[in-house]
Parts: sequence; structure tokens; C-alpha cells
Amino acid sequence: MSNSQIIVGLEIGTSKVCVVVGEVNDNQVANIIGLGQSKSRGVRKGEIVDSSVVEEDVRNAIVEAEHMADVEIQSVFLGVTGSHMRGFNNTGVHPVVSADREINDADIQDVIKNAKAVNLPSDHSVVHVIRQHFSVDGQDGILNPEGMLGAKMEVDVHVVSGRYNRLQNPIRLVSGLHLQVENIAFNGLASSLATLSTEQKELGTLVIDLGAGTTDYAIYSGGVIKHTGVLAVGGDHVSNDLAYGLKVPLGRAEQLKVDNGSAVIDPESKNRMLDLSTDNIVPGKKVNLNHLQMIMSLRLREIFELIANDIDQAGLINYLRAGVVLCGGGARTPHITKLARDIFKLPAAIGRSSTVSGIKNALDEPEFSTSIGLIKFGAFQSQAIPKREGLGRAIRKQFVSLFGGRK
Amino acid sequence: MKNPDYPDNPVIRFIGIGGTGVNLVEKLAMIGLQGVESHSVDTDNRSLSNCHQSKTLLLGKAIPCGLGAGGDVALARAAVESDRDHLLRLVSCADLVFVIAGMGGGTGTEAASFVARLAKEAGALVVGVAATPFNCEGSRRGNKAAGGIRDLKQSADIVFHFSNEEVMHITGTEISLNNALEIANRHLCESVLGLSRMLIEPGLLNVSFSDLRDSMTGRHSLGSTLCVEGVGENLAADAMGKILSHPAARMGKALSEATTLLVHLSGGDNLSLAEINTFVESISSHAPDIDLVIGASGTGSNNVLQVILIIVQKSNSKASLIQTNLSKNLTENETLDLNYPENFISSGENSYIGLGAESKGANRVRFAYTPPAPTVETITPEMKDNLLEAAAKQEPNRKKRKEIKQEMLPLEIISKGRFEKIEPTIHKGEDLDQPTYIRRGRMLN
Ligand SMILES: Nc1nc2c(ncn2[C@@H]2O[C@H](COP(=O)(O)OP(=O)(O)OP(=O)(O)O)[C@@H](O)[C@H]2O)c(=O)[nH]1
Ligand SMILES: Nc1ncnc2c1ncn2[C@@H]1O[C@H](COP(=O)(O)OP(=O)(O)OP(=O)(O)O)[C@@H](O)[C@H]1O
Ligand SMILES: [Mg+2]
Ligand SMILES: [Mg+2]
Repeated sequence: MSNSQIIVGLEIGTSKVCVVVGEVNDNQVANIIGLGQSKSRGVRKGEIVDSSVVEEDVRNAIVEAEHMADVEIQSVFLGVTGSHMRGFNNTGVHPVVSADREINDADIQDVIKNAKAVNLPSDHSVVHVIRQHFSVDGQDGILNPEGMLGAKMEVDVHVVSGRYNRLQNPIRLVSGLHLQVENIAFNGLASSLATLSTEQKELGTLVIDLGAGTTDYAIYSGGVIKHTGVLAVGGDHVSNDLAYGLKVPLGRAEQLKVDNGSAVIDPESKNRMLDLSTDNIVPGKKVNLNHLQMIMSLRLREIFELIANDIDQAGLINYLRAGVVLCGGGARTPHITKLARDIFKLPAAIGRSSTVSGIKNALDEPEFSTSIGLIKFGAFQSQAIPKREGLGRAIRKQFVSLFGGRK
Repeated sequence: MKNPDYPDNPVIRFIGIGGTGVNLVEKLAMIGLQGVESHSVDTDNRSLSNCHQSKTLLLGKAIPCGLGAGGDVALARAAVESDRDHLLRLVSCADLVFVIAGMGGGTGTEAASFVARLAKEAGALVVGVAATPFNCEGSRRGNKAAGGIRDLKQSADIVFHFSNEEVMHITGTEISLNNALEIANRHLCESVLGLSRMLIEPGLLNVSFSDLRDSMTGRHSLGSTLCVEGVGENLAADAMGKILSHPAARMGKALSEATTLLVHLSGGDNLSLAEINTFVESISSHAPDIDLVIGASGTGSNNVLQVILIIVQKSNSKASLIQTNLSKNLTENETLDLNYPENFISSGENSYIGLGAESKGANRVRFAYTPPAPTVETITPEMKDNLLEAAAKQEPNRKKRKEIKQEMLPLEIISKGRFEKIEPTIHKGEDLDQPTYIRRGRMLN
């Protein structure tokens, strides 16, 4: 482990701030050695609404993680999300100009540059440009065109962008805490990096991160990212619906959801009442379990349906041969996989961060997928850059290994 | 639970919540009842920054971070829940806690019952004191207020309630907004001060805290406090007459429908037993078979009989809060016959103000209510618009939300709860922050 390197993932989530410390060795194998968490009080729908409390929450989580890992954290890979983020595909074109028509590093760089020059609204900026496939003179599906002969090279990329100001908010906040932000990554992408195996990426999988404030999703197929999306609806909406429908305080609704929730309506719940009278908050109050489950399942069903519609429109539903993987705190909802199977008509499972090793607990918690994925994201990046075999190679390597799913 | 300065007195706290509550507690604190702690609690920094007499607590430092709840009860709920520990400290180790709020906005409506419940759990006797909006502020506010009162009643032992609208029934509509609020506030303050004075005024035959406790604990009913002064030839008869013409007595009906009446009489050192007897007989005749608790003291001024009367209503007495526009049952003539404004307003000088004249008075400040200066003079039909506008200003998002709402679904905006203040999640014109089950038209039954 002489060359091991510390990489830290930070998610400033709507319900919790989560810091995961990974130790990454030369072979890119990440080992989780520390974890810090704090309740998040100043985030709504995945975005910061009150910086001063968020600063405090981030600091607490960092300190906790430092203690556990026994390291001093100096830089982080930061997860970002929010309704302002967009994912779409774009194509870059580049004529091969060298006399011998052999495609070299510079050509690859140029075509990617061309693909990056997407027509974004002026207040948007690019978060990721992820290479999917090259094509050379009309021949599709080329993963690495270097050395090939051709006149015209194209590249398909997946672009994730977001509103500049809103991306800057968490970056500025973290920088203000004297932590360097090495890079940012879309939460949905990070979660898929943590939970998917190479086979799942190849066969085609939809990863859904059911957070408190947002539901982030990403699709891998053929080993590359095909699609990403954010829905600014999450567990908070479930709780809010319950609070409203059952006429209980929000905090109580949240607890009812965790204790008695279900993604599908259990026929046994008909006419069953939950007695809250021992509860100081709402003395003498009873709630109908059937109502609880109905309110909840309608909301979760809607979330899945919205994603299903989006995927349908993108024409990707038939590419998901490995089914659906669920993560984020919402994946703890009982019967959530059954609901997902019903709606997507695909196999569904809860994601585990199996592609890393380390603290067992952390790996099994669905909430930590994003932060753990950020470590993977960071590991590929920082391993690619310092070697500096030439920037083109470095970038290519990064894309191939990280997003291309091939070693 | 001992009041350190007056070990025999019960420990009393005034807790004002939201704009109205803070306003009232400031007035009460200025009067400076000895040994009473006053606290102002709001989500709004502006209202707290006007506090000089009471201790302040800003609710929801994270959200809405001092900006007020803007009528959003869910936001207020989040704020109050997040500050539970602070609030617990305010209510702990008290015998009697007054929770004072205006209903219809966000903070007062939502936080009052929460605080009352905390106080109840901490073992105090809890008296809610609530103002409800003018009718012209709109039915949504009115409904929200009614809900707030219901909640407060459920957690407090008793709620003294005064509807701002009532002022207009008393005085007619030709009253300025300032005066209307002033009268409402006086009435509310009277409830608090009358009850507190009854307990802590030095006297021989005081109504004791345990009397109060016995008659109120666990009732969850409405009640009212009346403070009047009998003067002239026949002190007792004059005082009784004023009680009967007091709107809260509803021409004596409220007395006969009560479960308990607590009466405190105070006069000069020449207060005679005969005078006391006359009064007690006269009130008993209006309230036969009703639990009557009498206290008396001779430390007041001569030739004046001050009476504090607390009416504890039956738990689900018909005199419900919605019905407070008592004059609905009255003809216009009867309203005039009450000749109430004169009594009431003139007694403003000496009712609760005068009551404590003897109580050392060192830290007593004259009650002076200065309502926020509105530009309107009298409540005329045109003025109602202005009033509404003023209300909308207090609730900055109100107008905006209306617009948003109209673009979307005709749903009760309140169901947005937690998401009211942030960018809505709109998908194909549908506001996804609204509960799905409501948008899908599912009934809970
Ligand atoms: N009697 C009386 N009523 C008032 C006064 N100010 C406002 N009100 C009434 O009380 C209702 C509630 O208003 P506020 O107390 O300002 O509301 P709040 O609790 O601060 O709520 P938010 O501002 O939404 O946080 C209003 O609709 C008015 O009818 C006052 O000084 N005296
Ligand atoms: N057992 C459970 N049943 C249902 N929901 C649960 C359960 N446990 C946690 N949740 C929900 O999961 C959500 C938190 O998930 P997570 O920690 O992934 O969110 P986050 O990362 O803080 O938010 P976001 O990513 O949206 O900003 C909360 O809404 C919580 O109520
Ligand atoms: Mg998350
Ligand atoms: Mg206010």
C-alpha cells in the first residue's frame, strides 16, 4: 500500500450530510476507512437553502470522518444534484487532418472538444461530458479509435449540465471551509458507480437513488452511460403527503413512514388503526394504516412512473436487461422492489456498494451509495491525472476506465 | 416550582407567539407584574426586534431564518419542532403558563398549540389566549384560525378567545383599525392580567392557584375573563350591571352556561361583607347551580369595587368560537342597548390598569398600545381592501402563491407544506409538491 491515496466523497444531501473516506491503492481498489454523518438542516430538494447551518453540518460530518479514518481531510469530491440539472446526449464531429489519416490523441481530444461545445443556455455550465462511442466514417460502436484510419470521426457523448450559480453554491460553501473541491459529480452518476458491476453496466441497468429531496437516476447500457435525470421529488414529499393526509406533524409523519411505511398497499392493512395515544406529540390520535400506505404508495408509484415515462421517451426501456437497482434512503421502504418490478416490468433489487471494500456497515446502507460512488469517481480521476502520459491519454483512460466500464 | 421573589405565589409565564402574541406580551410585560416572566417567540426577526420588555426567542434559525412564516403553517411547524428544546426550557418549572397568539397567520396558529402541549407535559396549568382575524381578512384566514383555536383548545386547559371582528359588533363599523385592534388587545390583556392578578394580588381571601387548577385542568374548553369596576351608590349592583353588559357575558347567558365562575372582588379597606354578599347573591341568581369560587381583598381603592370574573365554559358549550360574533343573535337595538363601548373603553383607563395600582407599582409602566400605523382611518367597505392588503403584506407570499396556484391546480395551497417557500417542482404543468393522492382525487375514508 505504499502508493495508497486518500480520497474523500462528500454528499450534502437533503436529509444528511455524508462524508466517506476511502483509501485507494495502485490497482484502483478503494477501501472505505472512514465515515462521517450529520443531520442536514439547510438543504431542500438537494440544494442549499441556508448556508450557515449547512456549513456547520458539513464541518461536523467531516470531523467525524476524520476521527474514524484518522486522517486529515484536505480535499473532497463533491456530489451535486437539483432540479436545474440536465442530462442529454450530443455528437461531436471532427475531420481527421493528418496526412496519413491515422487517428491520434490530438484527434480524439478535438472530437471530444467539439462534442463538449454543446448549445447550453447561457447560465448553464457543463458538469460531465462522458464519451459513449466513437464512429469512424460511419462505422459505429468503436470504443477506441486511436490508430484507426479514417477521414471523419464522430463521438457520441452524454452531457450533464447545471445552472452555474446553483452548482457554485455548494462548491463555494465547501471551499469556505478550507476544503478543496477536487471535482464535482452528479449524484445519480456517483450512485451508479458505487452499485453497478461491470456486467450490469454492460447488460443495461437503471439505477434510481431515492433521496429525501430528489430522485436521481442514471442508465448504463453497453458499458456506457446512456441517460441521466433528476426529479425534484423524494422522501420528503412522501412525508409531507403523510403529514397532510394523516394530519400529524411532519416529524411524526417521517417516523410513521419509517416505522409503518410500505410501497404497496397491504390488503391486511384495511381498517387497521395505529394508536398514537402513547405518543406525546399527538395525544389520543389514531391513524389509519390503510390511508398511510395508500398515500405513500401513490407517491412512490408516481415517482417511478415519471421515470418510466422519461426512459420510454428516450427509447431505452428495452436496453435494461439487468433491470433496476434502487439505492438512497428511500430504498429501505418495504416492498419498494415489488413496486419497481410492477411499474418497470423489470427485475429490481436494492443496490449494494459491492465494487469497493471496507467498513461493512457503510457498504450495506443504501444511503451511502452516492458518497461511496464519489470515491470511485475520484479514484479514477486522480489516478488518471498525475501520471500525465499526455493529456489525451489521461483523459481517454479516465473515460474508458471510469465510464466505459472496461479495464 | 417556587417563585424566588414571592415563594407563595405560583410561578407564572407569559409566552407570546407570532406577531400578535409578541405584541401582546410586550404590552403585558410593560405593566410589569412582579415575578412574572415574559417571553416573546416568533419566526420573524422584525417583530422580535421591537421587544424591549420580554425575553425573545427566534424560532427556526435555520428556516425561515428570521423571515417569518408568511402564513405558512407547515413552515411554522418545522420551525417550532426544530426548537423544541429551547421552548421546553421556557415552559419548565412553571405553575401557570399563558400561551398568547393571534390565529390566522403561520407562526401563532401552528406554534401556540405546540408550546401549550410542551407546557402541559412539563406539568403546568396552561391557559391559551387567542385573537382571531377580522372577517374581511378572508375565509381562508378565518378557517385557519378556527383550526388553530381547535388545536390550542386540545392542548391547553382553557382558551380565552377574542375575535377582532367582535370589536366591530361592539362599536359598529365606523371605528378605525387602530382603535379596533387596541380594543381587541385590551380585552385579551385583560384576560391575562385579570387571572394573574387574581392569584398574586395580596389579599386575605384570594382565589388560590389550586382553585384555579381544580376548575380548569383538563377541561379543554373556552373561557373568558371580565374585569369591571363598580362605582357610585351601589357598588355591587353597578359592577354586576357592567358584567352583564360585557360582550363576553352574552347578556348573562355565558354565566348560566358556565361550569365554573371564579370571582375576585377587591375594594378599599372599608369593603364590607354586606357588599360582598350582595354581589355574590346577584351573580348566583344569574348562575344557579354553578360552581362558584369567591375571593376578596381589601387592598384596593375606597368606593370602588373591582371585580375579576373568570368564566369557564362547558367543554363543548354552544358558545363556540365560530359563533363569537355574539351579536348575530342580537338585534341592532339590543346592541345599542348594551352601550358597551362607553363602558369598555372608559374602563380601559381603570380596569386592568387600575387593578394593580397598589401593587408597589415600581416597575409598572402605563399600558400604551401603539399599533402599526396603518394609513386607513375607519373601516368602510373600501377600507376592507386596504385591510386585506395589509394582511397580505404581513404574509408576503400570499399574493404570489395565489398566482402560482391559479396557473396550476385548484387545490388548497396549504398541502404544499414543507415546499411552500422553495421552487416548486412542476412537471407538465402539474405541481408535484402537492400530495399525489390529492391530485389523483383519492379520498381518505
Ligand atoms: N388583537 C390583535 N390581533 C392581531 C394583531 N396583529 C394581527 N392580528 C390578527 O392576528 C392574525 C394573525 O396574525 P399574526 O399574529 O401577525 O401572525 P403570525 O403568527 O405572526 O404568523 P406569520 O406572520 O405567518 O408568521 C391576523 O390575521 C390578525 O387578524 C394585534 O396586534 N392584535
Ligand atoms: N425505512 C425507511 N422507509 C422509508 N423511507 C426511508 C426509510 N429510511 C430512510 N428513508 C427515507 O430516505 C430519505 C433519506 O435518504 P438519503 O439519505 O438517501 O437522502 P439524502 O441523500 O439526504 O437526500 P438527497 O439525495 O435527496 O439530497 C428520507 O426521506 C427518509 O425518510
Ligand atoms: Mg442523496
Ligand atoms: Mg408574523
